[in-house]
Amino acid sequence: MSASRPQPRGPVHAGAHGRTSGESEARISRGARVRGRITGTGDLVIEGNVEGDVNVRGDLTIAEGATVTSPSVGAGAVTIAGTLEGNVAATGPVRLAPTARVRGDLQGTQVAIDDGARFSGRLDCEFDLPPELGGSSQAETRGRASARR
Amino acid sequence: MASTIIGAGITIEGEISTDEDIVVAGTVRGKLTAKEAVTIEHGATVEADVQGSSLIVGGALTGNVTASERVDLQSGSRVIGNVKAARVTIADGAQFKGNVDMDV
Repeated sequence: MSASRPQPRGPVHAGAHGRTSGESEARISRGARVRGRITGTGDLVIEGNVEGDVNVRGDLTIAEGATVTSPSVGAGAVTIAGTLEGNVAATGPVRLAPTARVRGDLQGTQVAIDDGARFSGRLDCEFDLPPELGGSSQAETRGRASARR
Repeated sequence: MASTIIGAGITIEGEISTDEDIVVAGTVRGKLTAKEAVTIEHGATVEADVQGSSLIVGGALTGNVTASERVDLQSGSRVIGNVKAARVTIADGAQFKGNVDMDV
């Protein structure tokens, strides 16, 4: 019996995939178009076209083929496989799938960009530095990464 | 293909249009246009003009409704606005204030 090896998947959060239908699931389907503000507590899956601010407390998935133009996107875990123009502020991890096309700034606890994803903007990711690199106090061990590509 | 669902915890302020079905369990303010059926579930709040092929209302709706086929106001629904459709049913226990235009 071989030793079980942890899948080297990196900091990719399972996000919305684990759930099939939440109580307050919301889905903007492929043929749908929303112009305006979307807010709420549940998870949101966008497969269609959204223009406007999106702010949900649950997880947000922008599916392949979806187009989102939004000055401000706020959510828990964010998975992007479609096209997004706008800034993301996530309280959870952010993942750009290979089909993602993103123009804007990304902020999250973790940010993962898969091979093939196109991204143009700033990455803002707070993380705890290892003790040998950080200072002594909790506050000083918080780092900040910025990247542009 | 799955239709558009506005879950119970979700609020949309603005304009929604879709080529397919739409189910609202949350809150919509603005305008709602669908080429297929529109369902406003019990507990949902819609303050919008609604257009669709058919409309089923179980929740609260304030706004004018135009349906190309039919409108069903279910028991427990609360509708304020004008309804325009060839076929309209208002169930016992539905609250309704407005005009009905069956285009006769």
